Amino acid sequence: MLRTICWFMNSMEQEAQELARGLRRRDPDLLDRLIEQYHYRLLRYLLVLTGSQETAEDLFQETWVRVLERGNQYSACWKFETWLFAIARNLTLDLLRRRQPLSLDSLLEPSEGEAPIQLNAPDETTPFETAAQGEEARRIASLLHRLPPAYREVLVLRFQEDLDLNEIAAIVGTPLSTVKSRLYRGLDALRRYLEGRPS
Amino acid sequence: MKEDLHERAQKLIDAWHVEGLAADDRAWLESHLETCPVCAERAQATERALSSLRITTARVSAPLLARTQQRVRLRAHELRGRQARMRALWAACALSWLLGVLTAPLMWWAFQWLSQRTEMPKAVWLVAFPLLWTIPAAVVGAALAWRRAHAPSENGYTEGRV
Repeated sequence: MLRTICWFMNSMEQEAQELARGLRRRDPDLLDRLIEQYHYRLLRYLLVLTGSQETAEDLFQETWVRVLERGNQYSACWKFETWLFAIARNLTLDLLRRRQPLSLDSLLEPSEGEAPIQLNAPDETTPFETAAQGEEARRIASLLHRLPPAYREVLVLRFQEDLDLNEIAAIVGTPLSTVKSRLYRGLDALRRYLEGRPS
Repeated sequence: MKEDLHERAQKLIDAWHVEGLAADDRAWLESHLETCPVCAERAQATERALSSLRITTARVSAPLLARTQQRVRLRAHELRGRQARMRALWAACALSWLLGVLTAPLMWWAFQWLSQRTEMPKAVWLVAFPLLWTIPAAVVGAALAWRRAHAPSENGYTEGRV
């Protein structure tokens, strides 16, 4: 059993190192494979962050170009998705900073009960919802977009992407305690929204 | 007292999902949930909320994927070209430095000879000699810095973060 675990860990480490080498070489075939592998998770994360299909798709492309350009900064001690999400998040913040500097604060430091970032008109169905499959999924997507963005983001990273708390802290760039408190508050808010008592 | 138990149970329900529970806390919570319908309902509501998060999906269109892959390939090609140019530049710099070092004694002798012929004060040519090396490097450095400051940032993003 222990031998199997060791073998598994070694093979994962080797894989990460190979990935780091490939990224340093800017190997386009490797990039193609990574895009195939992570496209779904990355776009879902960007949709949650931005609430706009168009913006998310633009950032999706920018993120992969940035992965190519900054490949030499990737270290095998990180999980690739943690690094990928951190890049996507930074690009999103840069974009939001240019578009609507006031709303940016809500992603960096949320306050209780504030409105989420809406890059599209608030009364129209968001593309995230449209993309969501089925009526229930659409309802959930809509509820999710009413949560403050900072809560929404950590909830998605924790419960959709199954990242651990340290990885989330690395992506969001905040202390672990802040991540935890956002998760507790976000979970509470989501539960209340689902029960129809959003205040 | 009963309130405290509920409060503890509710905190543990959230903690279970957010950061996991120690075995003792988990055992206590499970036994509490078996006997307390209010907390059991809250546990179920939490479970429903999290399951609902997991059913949300996004659709990535094939053209978007193809566009992205193509853009990345083009950029990779561009960067490889730039890298080759930079390599050539560095090779030229290294060669010029090497030649500079190799010809330094000759230049020293030339400066000495010239100063004797023109009766130049020794201090002047002693200052001029190191300037021969530093001025070209300073000019190239300034040109590179100017180029860096005036070149458009990559994709319009100017920050040094990843």
